[in-house]
Amino acid sequence: MQRYILSRLIQSFIMLVGVLFIVFFMLQLTGDPVALMVSRNASPEQVEELREELGFNRPVMVQFADFVSKAVRGDFGMSLRHHQPAMELILERLPATVELASMALLFAMVVGIPLGLLGGSNPGSIWDTLARGAGLIGQTIPNFWLALILIMVFAVGLGWFPSFGRETRQFMGLALPTKSVILPAFALGLFTMGQLVRFTRSAVLEIKNEDFVRTAYSKGLADRRIYIKHILRNAAIPLISILGVQFGYLLSGSIYIETIFSWPGLGNLLAESIGNRDFALVQAIAFFTSLVVVSLNLTADIAYGMADPRIRYGE
Amino acid sequence: MKKLKLVFPLLMLVLLSLPCTVFAAPQGTLRVGLSAMPNAIDLPMSSERNAHNVSWQIYDPLVWTDDTGKSVPALAESWTVSKDGTAYTFKLRKDVVFHNGEPFNADAVVFSWKRGSGTKMQWKDKWAMAESVKKIDDYTVTISTKGPNPLMLRMLSEYWAMVPPKYHAEVGENGFQKHPVGTGPFVFKQWKKGDRIIFEANPNYWQKGFPKVKNLIFRPIPESATRVAAIKTGEIDIVTRLSAEEADSLKGLSNVMLKTYPVDRVYYITFNNLTSGKGKPTENPLVRQAMNYAVDVDAIIKALLNGHGHPIAGFVTSGNWGYDKDNKPFGYDPEKAKQLLAKAGFPDGFEIDFAAPIGAYTNFEQVCEAIQGYLEAVGIKANLDLMESGKYWNMEAKKELPPLFGDSWSEATGEALPRLKGALGGMKASYSAWSDPKIDDLLEKIGTTVDDDARAKLYVELQGYMMENPPFIYLYQPITFEAMNPKVKDYKPRAAENYYLKGTYLE
Repeated sequence: MQRYILSRLIQSFIMLVGVLFIVFFMLQLTGDPVALMVSRNASPEQVEELREELGFNRPVMVQFADFVSKAVRGDFGMSLRHHQPAMELILERLPATVELASMALLFAMVVGIPLGLLGGSNPGSIWDTLARGAGLIGQTIPNFWLALILIMVFAVGLGWFPSFGRETRQFMGLALPTKSVILPAFALGLFTMGQLVRFTRSAVLEIKNEDFVRTAYSKGLADRRIYIKHILRNAAIPLISILGVQFGYLLSGSIYIETIFSWPGLGNLLAESIGNRDFALVQAIAFFTSLVVVSLNLTADIAYGMADPRIRYGE
Repeated sequence: MKKLKLVFPLLMLVLLSLPCTVFAAPQGTLRVGLSAMPNAIDLPMSSERNAHNVSWQIYDPLVWTDDTGKSVPALAESWTVSKDGTAYTFKLRKDVVFHNGEPFNADAVVFSWKRGSGTKMQWKDKWAMAESVKKIDDYTVTISTKGPNPLMLRMLSEYWAMVPPKYHAEVGENGFQKHPVGTGPFVFKQWKKGDRIIFEANPNYWQKGFPKVKNLIFRPIPESATRVAAIKTGEIDIVTRLSAEEADSLKGLSNVMLKTYPVDRVYYITFNNLTSGKGKPTENPLVRQAMNYAVDVDAIIKALLNGHGHPIAGFVTSGNWGYDKDNKPFGYDPEKAKQLLAKAGFPDGFEIDFAAPIGAYTNFEQVCEAIQGYLEAVGIKANLDLMESGKYWNMEAKKELPPLFGDSWSEATGEALPRLKGALGGMKASYSAWSDPKIDDLLEKIGTTVDDDARAKLYVELQGYMMENPPFIYLYQPITFEAMNPKVKDYKPRAAENYYLKGTYLE
């Protein structure tokens, strides 16, 4: 098990370094942001002066080395636009994104898993049709389109929800979500819901035909007991890893949704910082979200390994 | 008793006829949607229009520019200009305090200038145009410039927000950014990043009777479709920067009022005679005139901007000082274009490289594609290269773009001079691709003529010359669309899309 964890840790580390590398050089391809920062009336000398001040006139490799050496110490530099440490900006926006991702995941789980179980247990039934339909819809509807439709119908048409923004209720020092999260969470969680339905359904179908289930039936165990003890428990193992991956996706994949709903989270900040070529901030957000995704995958892998001996022995 | 009954209405009548010295207390909450989250609530740091507009609600400048373009007293009661036009002496108001109670005086002006022209500031060039700011006494300052600068007062009103020196020393630059303090009509209360900015009416504002609303809330809504939804549901009172289609979708709604006005921005295709355009046919003024005649700007406005724009004839727009209304756009005349090309020695046209940015301006890629088609029709083969805008502007600043390229330029001061200098300043200006000694000479004169009427004449002369010798294919001035709740009164946005909300109220 230790070797398994260690190898996963090393893989994650390599992944993160790769992310730093790609993000840095992709941004370099677009040129430096100085042209966007100076007033249009600036003279070439003023542009050059600013370029020098910000260090963009140094060779790219020197800039990269400087970036990495600071990044490993958690210093991603100052946001060019906000004149504030990039990490500080990320931490300011993090709670909103975590709230949205958690609510989206909660919705996906509460709807997706039971529907998948019902569909998988009763193939060909009305439940199964429903599950397959939900899986298909969830995975095919583009979420930015859905977001606009939701606003038109439920905010403008029916007036049930606010059309944008995040409202919270303070309770014992905590910022609790209010109904303002429902539309964005639904739009964001729908894809994951579809994934979970399909995944749970096929896992149940597969396990139902396994030898140990047939043995359980032949032993004369009650249906209910077989479901809970054998089928569900076994289907839950791969589900853990899927949930980890999906939560990572939800945390990082909300650029459209956050922008459309004006949700004050990381995705919104990332969209804005790309538009302004705020290098330090784009790099910091990209690294931060990869760190979250990689850590969640790592946790899921380890949990998976603990739950299923076949994984860790296959190392 | 009877007498008393008479006395009371009489007393009321007398009271009502007294000059109104008691002002109504500010009332209600005004909610304004922004198209982007401000990066700072601080004029020297504000990186674009939204930040600029939000910031001006809590600060004051020394002078304001009124709705007609005239400079009027703000924190300065009066001013005098030295004979040579290089020194402005301002008498400051004595009854003004910052939101933290610190008095406003000459030290604050000197400090604001020192801070604004500091190296880390976004708009330092707008402050550095003053060579020195000297305190004469507690309520008198002299601002000196290198040479006469006719835009001085406009720049002061557009960029020079006064900040409190003592408070700044106490909290430092970071502290100031987190909790900005000015003398303005509104007081900073809270800034939830990415979510909202909350201001409250300044109860001690020196201009009595202002502001008129009690609370002012800004909400960033980057997606314009969501801004439309928010104005429809009544969650927001004012939204800006809507597309023509979105504005059309709001027509006829009882709870939404539309506001449209031409923006002080020009769209153009520029010629280059500094680097890539050297030795090209476009150095010949007849060719440049021909290319202007070849493009049907009206059709482009109709087809690609839904009719929402005005064709332009030069870089001085209708709202600018010195605008010559008799100076008409070229108009579409492909036959004349062909004749001019033949006269210039290119009867069969020529081939030229052409570039435009992607995603920078509404439908601008399509506009450039249409222009490519129009040029083709008169025999000019323009090889259009559409580029990512960041890379594009980078190349533009380095003068590496092809001899023909499209762009746009807005102006906030109400005069076209900065735009003209920026786009026609030759090698001295980053975003210029053109140099013409006659234009240089006229710009130099405009830039040093403080007398408004004399300057207007020079602008007229320049506009005429720039039609004979066009450095651009002139395209259009766009119209912007805003929407507001009908209960919002006295909201007066200006051509640079800027607004001051102290006089705005809710019915």
